[in-house]
Amino acid sequence: MMLAALRVELAKVFSKWRTFIGFIAVGLLIPIIVLAMGKEGNQYFSFATQALSQTFDFKGNLMNGYTVAYIVFGALYIHIPFLVTLVSGDILAGEATSGTYRLIFTRPVKRSTIVTAKYIASMLYVNMMIVWMAILAMVLGVAFLGTGEIVVIRSQITIIAEHDALWRFVLAYSFSALSMMTVASIAFLCSSLVENSIGPIMTTMAIIIVFTIISAIDLPMFDVIRPMLFTNHMTGWKLLFDDPVPWPRVFTSASVLVGHMVVCFVAAQIIMQRKDILT
Amino acid sequence: MNVIELRGLQKHYGTFRAVDGLDLTVRQGDVYGFLGPNGAGKSTTIRMMMSLIRPTSGSITVFGESLHHHREKILRRIGAIVERPDFYNYLSAFKNLELVGRLSGADVSRANIMRVLGMVSLDERAMSKVKTYSHGMKQRLGIAQALLHNPDLIVLDEPTTGLDPQGMKDIRDLILALSADHKKTILLSSHILPEVELTANRMVIINKGKAVVEGMVNDLLNAGKMKVTIETDESASVRTALASTPWVGRITGVTEHAVIMQLDRAEIADVIQHLTAASIHIHSVVPVRSLEDYFLSLTSEAV
Repeated sequence: MMLAALRVELAKVFSKWRTFIGFIAVGLLIPIIVLAMGKEGNQYFSFATQALSQTFDFKGNLMNGYTVAYIVFGALYIHIPFLVTLVSGDILAGEATSGTYRLIFTRPVKRSTIVTAKYIASMLYVNMMIVWMAILAMVLGVAFLGTGEIVVIRSQITIIAEHDALWRFVLAYSFSALSMMTVASIAFLCSSLVENSIGPIMTTMAIIIVFTIISAIDLPMFDVIRPMLFTNHMTGWKLLFDDPVPWPRVFTSASVLVGHMVVCFVAAQIIMQRKDILT
Repeated sequence: MNVIELRGLQKHYGTFRAVDGLDLTVRQGDVYGFLGPNGAGKSTTIRMMMSLIRPTSGSITVFGESLHHHREKILRRIGAIVERPDFYNYLSAFKNLELVGRLSGADVSRANIMRVLGMVSLDERAMSKVKTYSHGMKQRLGIAQALLHNPDLIVLDEPTTGLDPQGMKDIRDLILALSADHKKTILLSSHILPEVELTANRMVIINKGKAVVEGMVNDLLNAGKMKVTIETDESASVRTALASTPWVGRITGVTEHAVIMQLDRAEIADVIQHLTAASIHIHSVVPVRSLEDYFLSLTSEAV
């Protein structure tokens, strides 16, 4: 029955116009960024490295497809959660809004099965979005700008060899999928609590903003909770471009994110099991 | 065999008792009228029967098994419209039925879906998105989704709300056909009283979450007095003709061409015979007591 429920949920998700907003937005943005980087990327790169220009001499195809893919990833990563919540925030609350809880919860299928199918459907959507983003950034970047070393400019500059890049991207995109699934899980939990789609979307974004601010403010009173905030771990994908990769930190961040997902999913299941359908 | 048995069913929202110790029995083959004014607890009861909301207390037994313990098994045999028919408006009627059919374990072949849509005269609009449907069409689609998996019990909550007279008749005819030809048991919730009068064989009237009266529709209708209008051009003579009988006290109104009386059903023939013997020419006798009168008298007594 789970497969039938999942099939039904996927059919509904991919019949809605809002599902494709994210794909279209990413599909428009990435080619523009890649083309712009190809045209004026060296200026961007010179600006970013100007403090080092008198000490180091950068040579080679540094503004290549890999570097652009890294930059694109970092830039869009902040905005993807908005797109993710469009589907996850709607997947339960949307049924309440349209009155179709009555249609699906009077079927001979356990509520937990339907809720699980909805959760899986929203997670598949998130992963498809990340894969779409990865394919566009990597394929377009490499096609227009070729391959080369990745120049990672953060508090320090790390140059990653060309042959060492691909596996890092695969893991970074996988980690980012985990981060976005966490955001989607929070939206899913919010969606189980209310009966309109806007509430979960706004609430999830508010949670991300508040937690990000708490993560960023370096006050002792936040030290206790900061390691538990998912926003503190969402940028863990960047660790995969450190050399060497700090694996314990990567695993810790991944564990915190998975923990959030599990808690959100279980809480949503309990809420939906106990919920009286009055809409 | 009892198809539905509700015993001591209660649903409380804080101090408000939406359903308050309701007992109800629907037998196999019944078209069972479930009557009550708005807010009487009909939809809350149906929502509990369809496991959309959890009872505060009491038991729901369907097909001899506890709904609490055998939910999926029971729901496989029930088709229902719960209140207004809502669908995925961005999908076609066909796609809506295909999706809910998959969840019901129904035959979702094109032939079966089109057959069911044909039963409610929607086959020609099968591929139109539901958002283009009128309320009446959505109501008919609601019936189609209730029938798709060929259930033994059909629960229809206000199925003719918002339909035009022809649409109401079509639904009534469909209910009668489902009962007579397909041997379905039907629970018909309604506040449109003639609808129940014309389709149901048994009924319950509830008010404030409690059953006021339950029984055979005919028995309930035949019990008590009804308003009878006797049309005649000699209305002034009627009182004289009935002067020596106890029926004279039952005259409640006299107009130029009609006399209105309150009579038991069994008395009507005797009154007509008496007036005819007194050479009073009668054009027609119209018993005008409807279920509505009965319903209103019962619920007002219960208030």
